[in-house]
Amino acid sequence: MRVAVLRPQVPFARGGVEIFTDELVEELRVRGHDADLVSVPFKWYPGTRVLTQAFLWRLLDLEEADGRRIDVVVATKFPSYVVRHREKRVWLVHQFRQAYELDGTDLGQFGPSPEERALRRQVQELDRTALGEATRLFATSANVAGRLERSTGLAAEVLPHPPQRLPYRSASSQGFVLSASRLDRAKRIDLLLEALALDETLEAVIVSDGPDRMRLEELARARGLDGRARFEGRVSTERLAELYATCSAVYYAPVDEDFGMGPYEAFLSAKPVITTTDAGGPLDVVHDGRTGLVVDPDAASVARAAAWLRAHEPDAASYGTAGKALADEVTWDRAIGRLLS
Amino acid sequence: MKIAYFSPMPPEASGIADYSALLLPALRRHVDVEVVKRGAKRPPRDADLAVYHLGNNPDAHGWILDALRRTPGLVVLHDFVLHHLVAGVTIGRRDGHGYLDAMEREHGVVGRLLAHGVLDKRLPPLWEARPEEFPLAGEVLGLATGLVVHSRYVAERARAAGFEGRISQIPHPAWPEPGIAAADLAAEPLLGAFGNVNASKRVPQLLEAFARVRAEHPGARLLLVGATSPGFDLDRRLQRLGLPADGILREGHVDETRLWALMAACDIHVGLRSPTMGETSGTVIRALTLGKPLVVTDAGWFSELADDVALKVSVGDREVDDLTAALRLLAERPDARAAMEASARRLAAGPHELGRVAELQAAAFEQAAGGAAVSDDVLEDVSGAAAAVGIAPGTPEASEIARRLSEVELGG
Repeated sequence: MRVAVLRPQVPFARGGVEIFTDELVEELRVRGHDADLVSVPFKWYPGTRVLTQAFLWRLLDLEEADGRRIDVVVATKFPSYVVRHREKRVWLVHQFRQAYELDGTDLGQFGPSPEERALRRQVQELDRTALGEATRLFATSANVAGRLERSTGLAAEVLPHPPQRLPYRSASSQGFVLSASRLDRAKRIDLLLEALALDETLEAVIVSDGPDRMRLEELARARGLDGRARFEGRVSTERLAELYATCSAVYYAPVDEDFGMGPYEAFLSAKPVITTTDAGGPLDVVHDGRTGLVVDPDAASVARAAAWLRAHEPDAASYGTAGKALADEVTWDRAIGRLLS
Repeated sequence: MKIAYFSPMPPEASGIADYSALLLPALRRHVDVEVVKRGAKRPPRDADLAVYHLGNNPDAHGWILDALRRTPGLVVLHDFVLHHLVAGVTIGRRDGHGYLDAMEREHGVVGRLLAHGVLDKRLPPLWEARPEEFPLAGEVLGLATGLVVHSRYVAERARAAGFEGRISQIPHPAWPEPGIAAADLAAEPLLGAFGNVNASKRVPQLLEAFARVRAEHPGARLLLVGATSPGFDLDRRLQRLGLPADGILREGHVDETRLWALMAACDIHVGLRSPTMGETSGTVIRALTLGKPLVVTDAGWFSELADDVALKVSVGDREVDDLTAALRLLAERPDARAAMEASARRLAAGPHELGRVAELQAAAFEQAAGGAAVSDDVLEDVSGAAAAVGIAPGTPEASEIARRLSEVELGG
């Protein structure tokens, strides 16, 4: 089958969606499909740019390429699903969240003027129209599916995808908490730093990079965490797998996250996850007292959870094992089977 | 963003006043709303959008039509037939010429002649005798910059009448379950009909059908709640049908608490209407909240109710027979009533849920206030890009772009 995987591209940025779509193309090819990635740059500001840049997708003709028919397109996130195709399948990573649950928050985009209010509504209407055209509609998590249903009335099948390929393994805990999320404000890594400030026995390793890195490093300095919060920046896949293998727990507590590969990566290393009650997508698989600890989104609760898991290694190990059983169920064979069925 | 909200409000006895009282608190979670004082001629200066609630009752809506004439804006059209409203603001204000002009504007010379007949009292009032033929919605549609309607029925008629602006079809919100105990009314089963007691509520047909049902089910009783319209002799009709006094329970206009208590006591809710003005029935919506099985007229908005919540009866020769069959079925089948109850509650908690409806209304208001500017910006950007690569207006390529914009409702 000839499959085009559609991904909007924010030049010079790389995150979970990029990893997911790259691997989807590779996994499709491994299974004998003729797959390729179709990418269009996306800039969502200022003003109506969010609509006009989205509209670029509508002008694409992906019915065929170089004289050969494209059987299926798989759109992933706003605005790639604005494309026209007779067999448009959407594996929704997320909508344009600024027009929905982030509106009116620090992470929102649209102001109070009538024009900006109308612009936000137009984005919502575009979603309803474009997503309503899909021949199959999947969402990466129950959280994403729930948001979609509430905002558009459209029902999606929940279809999680496997996390990035790493040489996952498990080893004895060296007592530190690992955070491997991109360093941006919505991932709420400052909560982990504040937890370390409350409990002097806690240690954390923070990998990855992002726009919030300077602020987080400054916060760590201000709280006197030198040596206990180690920022390693981007690390190799080997190093990341080693950190997963040797941590006591993985911290993953974004605000109302869409899906979140973090828990799956932790579980494949048989490690428990600390998350918060408002984390969204991760709550599909992080179950309190079974695969990790789900706590209130405050530093004291995170500190208590991290200390407890470090002090109760057998429980932490059993949570990690239970999580691994969940993560082992999420395979590319199953995902692609449903996607193309 | 601020909305100037023109609507009748309680304590006015108006279904639309009740509607606004229900909706406003939920709406205010999304937008800043200022309810305009009754009789105001213009919206406040700082309002970004004027929203006019219009129905067919001239006492409740005459002043709102006057304001709309001064400042066009978004119209929430509760009835499609506005003949009574137009008559009220013309004939009712001793402006017979205004009525003649309105009829001629929308129905030509024939309309003017008919209007003369009405003014000369040679013809019965058209707003009572033939409202669906002469809806007189044209002036309001001409002034409206956009429409909010509650039914496909009204949306289609507005389009057929030539309205080209945006129409948002948004369900009537459902009242939350009030938690009021059912009135103590013994019957097996109890049928209820709420609203004015008159011919347009099909009360003659209902009485006839009920008489047949009661012959087979002596425990059945019919509760009629609402004022009797002038000229409608209920007692004589009951006598003629041989309906004993204990078969009919009668209450006049009741307050909201009593209304809920009486509705809660009913096993079957009857909501008949013909002719229809295109209205949505507030009591039918309340019945959905309470999970009451419905029997309604197969017309207008009522036809759009899902089949699993309402049995529908067509107006015509077989109306009484069909109505009898529907009432008999519900009287004899508690299992069918239970299934309809569950469906009704789902409908009230789903499409008609207050928070959801308020969100949709806010969206319609925001698009009405700022949508044109957004469309202009999008068109300017896209047409500028097209021109930069040599795509001229009127070419097939420009048409293709316009078609794609239209598909995703961008660019007006």
